[in-house]
Amino acid sequence: MRSYFATAARALSTSLRNLLRRPVTVEFPKVIRQRAERYRSSFALLHEEDGDEACIGCLQCERICPSQVIAIKAGGKRESPISGKKRGYADDFVLDLNACIYCELCVQVCPTDAIVMTREPEVPAYGREELVLTMAKLYANEKSKHRAWGDATRLNGMQVPPKAPAAPKPASPTAPAAGSPAAGPTAAEKANGGSPPAAAASPAAPSSTAPPVAPAEVPVTGNAASGSAASAGPPPASPPSGGAAGATASAPPASGTTPATGASSAPVTSPSGADAPAAPGTPPTGSGEGGS
Amino acid sequence: MSEGLVHGVVYSVVIVTVVLTATAMALWFERKFAARLQTRLGPTMVGPSGLLQPVADLLKLLQKEDIVPANADAVIFNLVPLLAALAALGAAAVVPFSPSVVASDLDVGVLYVLAIGAVTVLPVFGAGWASNNKLALLGGMRAVAQSISYEVPLLLSAMVPVILSGSLRLGTIVQAQADHHWFVVWPFFIGIPAFFIFVLAMLAESNRIPFDIPEAESELVAGVTTEYTGIKFALFYMAEYIHTLVASAVGAALFLGGWDGPFRPGLHWMVLKTLLLFVAVYWIRWSLLRFRSDQLMALCWKYLVPASVLLVGAAAVWVVLV
Amino acid sequence: MTALQTVHITRRVDPHLPIDRYDPEGELMLLHFGPQHPSTHGVFRMDLYLDGEKVVKVVPHVGYLHRAVEKLCETLAYVQITPIVDKNDYVSPMTNEQALNMAFEAALKLEVPRRARWMRSLFAELQRIASHLLWLGTFALDLGGALGGGATVFLHCFRERELVLDLFEEVTGARFHYNTHTLGGNRHDLPAGWSAKVKAALDIIGPRLDEYESMTLQNRIFLDRTTGVGRLDAELALDLGITGPILRACGVDHDLRRDAPFHAYDEVKVNVVTAQGGDCLARARVRIGEMRESVRLVREMVDAVPEGTINAGRPVKLPVQTKIPHGQVYVAIETPRGELGTYLISDGTQFPYRLKIRPPSLHALSALPYIIPGATVSDAVAILGSMDPIMGEVDR
Repeated sequence: MRSYFATAARALSTSLRNLLRRPVTVEFPKVIRQRAERYRSSFALLHEEDGDEACIGCLQCERICPSQVIAIKAGGKRESPISGKKRGYADDFVLDLNACIYCELCVQVCPTDAIVMTREPEVPAYGREELVLTMAKLYANEKSKHRAWGDATRLNGMQVPPKAPAAPKPASPTAPAAGSPAAGPTAAEKANGGSPPAAAASPAAPSSTAPPVAPAEVPVTGNAASGSAASAGPPPASPPSGGAAGATASAPPASGTTPATGASSAPVTSPSGADAPAAPGTPPTGSGEGGS
Repeated sequence: MSEGLVHGVVYSVVIVTVVLTATAMALWFERKFAARLQTRLGPTMVGPSGLLQPVADLLKLLQKEDIVPANADAVIFNLVPLLAALAALGAAAVVPFSPSVVASDLDVGVLYVLAIGAVTVLPVFGAGWASNNKLALLGGMRAVAQSISYEVPLLLSAMVPVILSGSLRLGTIVQAQADHHWFVVWPFFIGIPAFFIFVLAMLAESNRIPFDIPEAESELVAGVTTEYTGIKFALFYMAEYIHTLVASAVGAALFLGGWDGPFRPGLHWMVLKTLLLFVAVYWIRWSLLRFRSDQLMALCWKYLVPASVLLVGAAAVWVVLV
Repeated sequence: MTALQTVHITRRVDPHLPIDRYDPEGELMLLHFGPQHPSTHGVFRMDLYLDGEKVVKVVPHVGYLHRAVEKLCETLAYVQITPIVDKNDYVSPMTNEQALNMAFEAALKLEVPRRARWMRSLFAELQRIASHLLWLGTFALDLGGALGGGATVFLHCFRERELVLDLFEEVTGARFHYNTHTLGGNRHDLPAGWSAKVKAALDIIGPRLDEYESMTLQNRIFLDRTTGVGRLDAELALDLGITGPILRACGVDHDLRRDAPFHAYDEVKVNVVTAQGGDCLARARVRIGEMRESVRLVREMVDAVPEGTINAGRPVKLPVQTKIPHGQVYVAIETPRGELGTYLISDGTQFPYRLKIRPPSLHALSALPYIIPGATVSDAVAILGSMDPIMGEVDR
């Protein structure tokens, strides 16, 4: 009997303690909670810097969408009013946001960074028709102040970090796996095929290069890949928070291994911004990497 | 004679109005209090700080479709919500809110309160039976078992102030506690346990957590009120709050000294004590989990009843010796 | 591999009482704990045959949430399957994705970069915390009422879960259903400052676990409701293929993270939490213990994530063209519910020939006819809650 009272008293005191805490409610709609930088909620189609539409009607996004919400009428090649060159266009582009599952795959595969996601805190509508994003709406969203962080370049750069141009060629560009045409032609930055492949090749690669990385930079340690890297060593718990994607803008060339901290497509400043030199260059723990 | 009748009617109307208004306020208070216990805000949109939320709730329930299930016993089905609300209100008639504000200070006030409390079992069981719904039936059976079991410790613990003050009349009981002679203060070793048992039994009678197995939402959808919609559901819902409020008032009168207070005794003390008990009931409700039926029964018959019998004996001894 | 053996399921209670047709005039009352019910953890139906308040026979019915996911996946390219499979065990999507992609990588014999392996395990542990928090909240709801103490615990748990979901939002852009794992690694890398946020969140969650315990594990009412209720013995659990916290609560020390380590678990030590008794209380203890262990693991791992790439470099530009050669593979991981397995038969094209998912919750539900009879209706609810079934993965 006593235990009933004692434990009940404890439960009561716990809830009392919560009574005295500040409520965590965000009073929507008076207060709109800010979303993370990478939050994905709606879409936008972009124009290029020269004013031309970025979408070339390649239909990659339509093909990749698992829910088949994108419907494009490809316009065939015609002359661009701005640059004068013949290029593809999309005559119509409809994205049905009702059925979208927000997987971001369409963004990832776009060769021209034409479609991106936006991070509106909410996308309300009075009817289903309003949520079917027509081409006009998509281009209008371009001006939204909630542009998300991700576009194809960034996403791909995160996964397959680009080689720095100066780097000595890595040993064989490892098979760019199944038929991927080395990336889109337009995206110069993109790692062309093979680069990081870590996987395959790898061990062979390391050595070399080592390169010009200033010791301060980079950690390289990356051992990237595949276990092989002997590294048993505990990864340099480095610096900016474990993940710092940011770091090193100039990722040293793939050289088989990944340039440090994957991520961050070099060109684009990753959100982290600085971080720069990252780790006090802990020399790569012994893993074969050459260098630094 | 007629003067007494007029007095009774006037005060009844006043008290009923006040109690119903208090119920509406209680609805708001509970929502806010529960929310704060859960580190959130509760109603904020309707009226300043959500004060008009009960009105909004009532309006919403009023405009719902009124459904009587097929094969349900329509007469009982339609009658019991009203009976529940009325029975809950009935007990307010004898509570002395202040020396002069009491609708009808019956000589057998305590007995009347307990009898009305027993009547509140009937609508619950009626709803369970008349709904033609197995979940409601289960809830009804549990409610009956629970209510009639907990009548015993309720009665016995209510006997303690009766014995200590020598009368069944609520006014006299409160009078006997005047000058800070509250029964929980002296004799505290009898008063406090009796008060605890009374509170527990009161929780069980009003089907509050930790004894709310008859209306256990997670098990029985809505227990006995599963098939009720609209205004009938509103009546059941309100009946619960009214019952809690009135039972708190009765408890305050029996054990906490009623309208007595450290300075300037009066109506405000009674109100304050009722509210205190009320808050305690809701604090318990929103912090504890519920008992299972058989554990509930075991608690009643194995712990509360023997304890309250002992307390009655102790009170009797006390009165004789002191 | 031994030859096929006949497995005898020990029966403590005959789950197939000779009740074929319901007799309304008979002694037993049939109660459909139907698909619409506040506490069936999704759309699930149990037919309870009641003798008064005591349950005599239980017939569970699943399939209300069947969405033909596995068939759908036969028409999707491998990289498109991840967001679909996210929705199976919708309470811990990270582990769904992980299980699936591990199977694809095993079929391709593709080695995932070390950083991606660590990130996946880190996400899985964080997801375990979130999933168990949700379980604790809903279990308290079952026991204590949607309007009552249960709701308080529920909202407290969700308050903490929001912290974890915010962390995931920082990394992947979605609070739920992330599509962050992909064939060959991960798609999103950790942003700068993330590990500091993780640690801040853990600093809040860690002590709050003590609060939850004070309202549940140490509460006498909770103990009364869960002690001895729904006792499952280890032999029956093993026969039925039950894994995860339920099995560990029966005293069997089996955890795939330690016994068949995958990803970062071969470099990080996992302390496996077990309990004796196999009843609801033991299961609750195991899950809360696992939460604490996950908090510890996340703290250990978040600063130690190795540098490197996060993707083995499958061509991300035209991922639809990934083909997996002929073969079959089965890969299992430890999710908050138990062993989630993915069985893949591939035929050299871009689409799987057959993708089968082995959900742990299905096996957990199969124990219900054995352990509920003899208990009351209230206990049936508590037992179902303690099994933590997620109908999304049971039905797919």
